[in-house]
Amino acid sequence: MALINVAAREIHGKIVYYGPGLCGKTTNLQIIHAKIPQNGRSDLLSIATETERTLFFDFMPLELGQVHGFSIRFHLYTVPGQILYERTRVAVLNGTDGVVFVADAQRDRLADNLQSLRELAHNLKNQGKRLVDFPLVMQYNKMDLPTALPTPVLDRYLNTIKVPRFEASAVNGDGVFETLRAISKLVVNKL
Amino acid sequence: MITKCLTRLMDETGATYSMVIDRAGQVLSSEGEVHKGEMMHLGALLAGSYASSREMARLLREDNFRVLVQEGAREKIFTETVEDRWLLVVVFDHHAHLGLVKVLAKRTTQSLAEILRLVIERNEMYRLQLSGEFPRAAKDTIDLIFGNDDSSETPK
Repeated sequence: MALINVAAREIHGKIVYYGPGLCGKTTNLQIIHAKIPQNGRSDLLSIATETERTLFFDFMPLELGQVHGFSIRFHLYTVPGQILYERTRVAVLNGTDGVVFVADAQRDRLADNLQSLRELAHNLKNQGKRLVDFPLVMQYNKMDLPTALPTPVLDRYLNTIKVPRFEASAVNGDGVFETLRAISKLVVNKL
Repeated sequence: MITKCLTRLMDETGATYSMVIDRAGQVLSSEGEVHKGEMMHLGALLAGSYASSREMARLLREDNFRVLVQEGAREKIFTETVEDRWLLVVVFDHHAHLGLVKVLAKRTTQSLAEILRLVIERNEMYRLQLSGEFPRAAKDTIDLIFGNDDSSETPK
């Protein structure tokens, strides 16, 4: 649950971008960082390997401004997607208030998406949270590629619990802010 | 009261900076001079390090590693858990001694535990007052920032 700091008049929320390796989680944060006005964000912190794959997490604080005298700030994180880093994902997911599941829409990544989604449900359960009533938004990324599966097929396999979902091409900036807006609202709703 | 605890700890140890963060990396309180952006990044990284060391402990069938120490040529960071929910972070240089920081940080975590429980209780009471009008206003602000043409779809 988002942290309310009455003394500092601040509300903090943590949003984690989760999904299989190379699905576009870091790209989402890079686009947000590039397009958000400078007064709303700090530096994008990336802990990556030499080959630019996420090793620990990417992190970006995002100031939404004042509401009723409280400043609202979200901390956006990504997890490392590679299978090897399962325990690191558990660490990053700790205390999250909302999750964006970024799925790679390409046909040959469907099994990876399913595995990652199952792992997410398992990790949230271990934190005492249930996927069905937790703030979750799904993003079908890389929809611009010819190898992308149609949305109804992705819905059937990935979105059985019928959460809000967005088609995206994160690298072109499409669907990135729609996804962020939706998860932000779900997190605020849970205050 | 948290500020008082942190100030006393810094005065007695000669530390340059201290803060209390929660396990998600959010900074609850801080004392000393650090740029706000750096403070947020430090909070996120320390919470990440702590969560990561917790997973290591689990692999070694250890309950937890309660303390983390990072030592550089100039700066050192000492982190200790407060009731497994929060982290006390002390940043210090060669003017302070690690042994003293360890002993006094331990005492501070005991005082902080009680204070933080009260603060969280008060904040939770405030959360109830915020329900209703506040989420609506916050959502309007979000629409204002990100635009409000809703292209979202929830599959039928």
